Amino acid sequence: MSAVTTVEIATKTPVLEVRDLAREFGGVHAVDGATFEVPPGRITGLIGPNGAGKSTVVGLISGMVKPSSGQIMFAGRDIAGLAPYRVARLGITRTFQLSSEFGKLTVLENLLVAAPGQRGESFVGALLGPRGWREQEQALVGEARALLRRFEMSDKEEEYAGNLSGGQKRLVEIMRGLIAKPKLLLLDEPLAGVNPRLGERILGYLEELRDEGLTMLMVEHDLVAVGRVCDPVAVMAQGKVLAQGPLEELRANAEVRNAYLIG
Amino acid sequence: MSLLGPSIGFGLVTASILALAAVGFTIQFGVTNVLNLAYGEVMGAAGFIALLVNKAGVSIWICLVIGAMFGAASSYALNRAILVPYIRRGTRLFGMVIVTVAVGLVIENTILAIGGPTFFSYKLPHQSTFHVGSLIFTGFQVAIIGLAVVCMIVVHGVLRYTKLGIAMRATSAENSLARSCGIRTERIIDIAWLISGTMCGLAGVTLFINTATFTSATANEFLVVIVAAAVLGGVGHAYGAMLGALVLGLTTEISAAYIDPAYKNVTAFVILVIVLLVRPQGILAEIATQRELAT
Amino acid sequence: MSTGTQFYISTLCVYAGVDILAAWGLNLQFGTAGLLSFCYILFQAAGAYTAAVLSLGPQSGNGGFQHYIVGLNLPFPLPLLAAGVVGAAISIPIGLITLRRLRSDYQAIALLVVSIIATSVATNQAHLFNGAAGLALIPPPLANSLNLSAVNYQWFFAAFTFAVCGVVYVVYRRLTRAPLGRAMRAVRDNEHAAASLGKNVAGLRLLAFAIGGAMAGLSGGLLVEFIGAWAPSAWLYPETFVLLAVIIIGGTGNDLGAIVGVLLVPIAFAEATRYIPAIGRAGLVDALQWIAIGLLFLLFLWFRPQGIFPERKRKYLADGRPASLLISFRRRLGRSAADSELNREPAA
Repeated sequence: MSAVTTVEIATKTPVLEVRDLAREFGGVHAVDGATFEVPPGRITGLIGPNGAGKSTVVGLISGMVKPSSGQIMFAGRDIAGLAPYRVARLGITRTFQLSSEFGKLTVLENLLVAAPGQRGESFVGALLGPRGWREQEQALVGEARALLRRFEMSDKEEEYAGNLSGGQKRLVEIMRGLIAKPKLLLLDEPLAGVNPRLGERILGYLEELRDEGLTMLMVEHDLVAVGRVCDPVAVMAQGKVLAQGPLEELRANAEVRNAYLIG
Repeated sequence: MSLLGPSIGFGLVTASILALAAVGFTIQFGVTNVLNLAYGEVMGAAGFIALLVNKAGVSIWICLVIGAMFGAASSYALNRAILVPYIRRGTRLFGMVIVTVAVGLVIENTILAIGGPTFFSYKLPHQSTFHVGSLIFTGFQVAIIGLAVVCMIVVHGVLRYTKLGIAMRATSAENSLARSCGIRTERIIDIAWLISGTMCGLAGVTLFINTATFTSATANEFLVVIVAAAVLGGVGHAYGAMLGALVLGLTTEISAAYIDPAYKNVTAFVILVIVLLVRPQGILAEIATQRELAT
Repeated sequence: MSTGTQFYISTLCVYAGVDILAAWGLNLQFGTAGLLSFCYILFQAAGAYTAAVLSLGPQSGNGGFQHYIVGLNLPFPLPLLAAGVVGAAISIPIGLITLRRLRSDYQAIALLVVSIIATSVATNQAHLFNGAAGLALIPPPLANSLNLSAVNYQWFFAAFTFAVCGVVYVVYRRLTRAPLGRAMRAVRDNEHAAASLGKNVAGLRLLAFAIGGAMAGLSGGLLVEFIGAWAPSAWLYPETFVLLAVIIIGGTGNDLGAIVGVLLVPIAFAEATRYIPAIGRAGLVDALQWIAIGLLFLLFLWFRPQGIFPERKRKYLADGRPASLLISFRRRLGRSAADSELNREPAA
């Protein structure tokens, strides 16, 4: 019995709450009053037709885009408008739609660099010499290698991340997001452009992580995948969230069906 | 107030040369997305080719045309033979900046090696002066301003009303989208470099006509002012470059008259840095995009 | 060895050491942190001017023919240390202004412009550093207390330069080998991904800029204390491109590459001009050198953009310790020996 179930029963406080979020670009309302929540220990899906504003919402949550108005409640505070690195330090990490690996770092280094709170990363810490950060680094290498084993990429440890295939890069990004031990992992179309077999693997990993208690928000177009791992699901269209709930309920919702036909 | 008249006059002439140069520069950036830091040196090369022909006794006006043609040909060659291969080979933005700098170094120093570190000047026929209010112009200056105005009108006409112009604007804005619309972007880019190269050549020769004496380094010293004008108006937007040229041409000359002539270009540089900080997309960029959306 | 040759070689050693120090600093800014630092020579100049005006006496001295600020006649090693500090100090406002929101080619232009503006100011505001004529008669450090012959002083300075390089290298290497260096490289490769992992991109870039600036400043201080003079003509903006050529050819992000680059570019060029007689008119050889540098850039960016010695791949041992150069070399040897074991024909 995972620890998550106990938490679920005890407190259903959502990990993330988006309230009336809005962002416009020169007259275009990319996000127009979106409201939804991300409950703990589940994978919340975010779906909608093209141009609905899903990627912008991810950008707003992760801090890359500044909202025009609205709130994003996380860990008891409004993080709307915070710089991306501050949002990350609060416990939200993300993957990107287009591969964003660190090309000239090895796969192992890609993971190592993602770990937060490294003593050797500050100027003073580095200056004082390896004695201060060597132990922490060795432990990190162990952790990273364990992740590589779990995701079956141990043989790629010393490969430059830029030389990997698209699917492998996707896995590296997910591992990178995990090593930061986030409270919330944002996945921006993790299955896009990935071959079906690898897609299956990824979904399997996501289910495992969810069962271990990791909260995730996943933007995806592949409704079969969404149906399999996501609960609840939020539907967006034209910048607004139309509805949030289990996928079957949404399928029955006329407004949602119309949005997909129009959008 | 007696300084204002002449300095406005100088400002208009500088603005004209700057407009020719900046519009050419910004078109190149628009279609290639790389800042061509060899632009100043290509201007200089065109000016020196014109000098060679001029020394052979040819009239300066024909030399102007030859310079323009040289500018067109060499710019086209620069893009096709150097920039495109490097980009296709996978050189990133980083490397491309250095590639253009390297080409510039080779061009400028080849001129220096051949011509020597002395001052040069064109053999110009004596011109009468024109008085417009409190402004005084030589015949050449009037011609330069006229040339710039004509070129701006032509560029405006091409960009707005011809299929070529629309294709150029589309390629500038969104290359892959333009290609998927069936626009033969490679040909468009070639033509864009020919056009901008012509303006580059014209700018080079008119710059040398306007400055009594010039060296192998004169044109390149002008480059930062050109970039400033292009950035001020929004890099990639031809109308912005025209506006930027006017603003910078006037401000540099007026500041030279009132503050300190040694700092003439520094004024332009400071403006450039400020624009890059405050509004890197330039003054007209946002407005232009909205207009394009509306029509 | 004749005195003349000794003078020449010791001078070359000092120039090499100074260039290596400057190249490492640029390597940190450009190779590790990915900043197109087109104003780099300005940091060296700032260090040089600082060391100069701190070690010179008040401007009325020496007949009062030079005009400059400060003039404290400070003893060694203060002017040199100050040179490093000032190199870092001026990089901070420049970095704050340019390194934050601009894309890399705009940054490059902005930094180039800063360098040009600085040259203009130094030349025109003659009361600062004696304008275009520059500063002269800067006292060589420890000359009076050491009481060496001219030649021996040269060797002393060369040894001192290498010593400074050694000390700075230890510190520089600590920073780049630590997770700090890795974080900077991550920012270089993908700043958005780095930010999404909690890295303070602007802060890391500024740090690289400042440390590189300090190293450049230090190199300038050494140079000016050796030559005894400094003027705007010594730090025109193209000089940055010589250093850039050094690290692109030698190998960006590789410290040994920087050394090789220095030997191949500035030193080799200086040597070459010795053998090529002053052909043609004045300035021809200079122009040819610049053409050669331009062509070298183009050749290397085409055939070997990573340089002669590419950035070393960081590997880790089984127990998690980083594999040093020696260990990874032995591993590679061991692996090839094992391979030949496997490939041997099995006993019949």
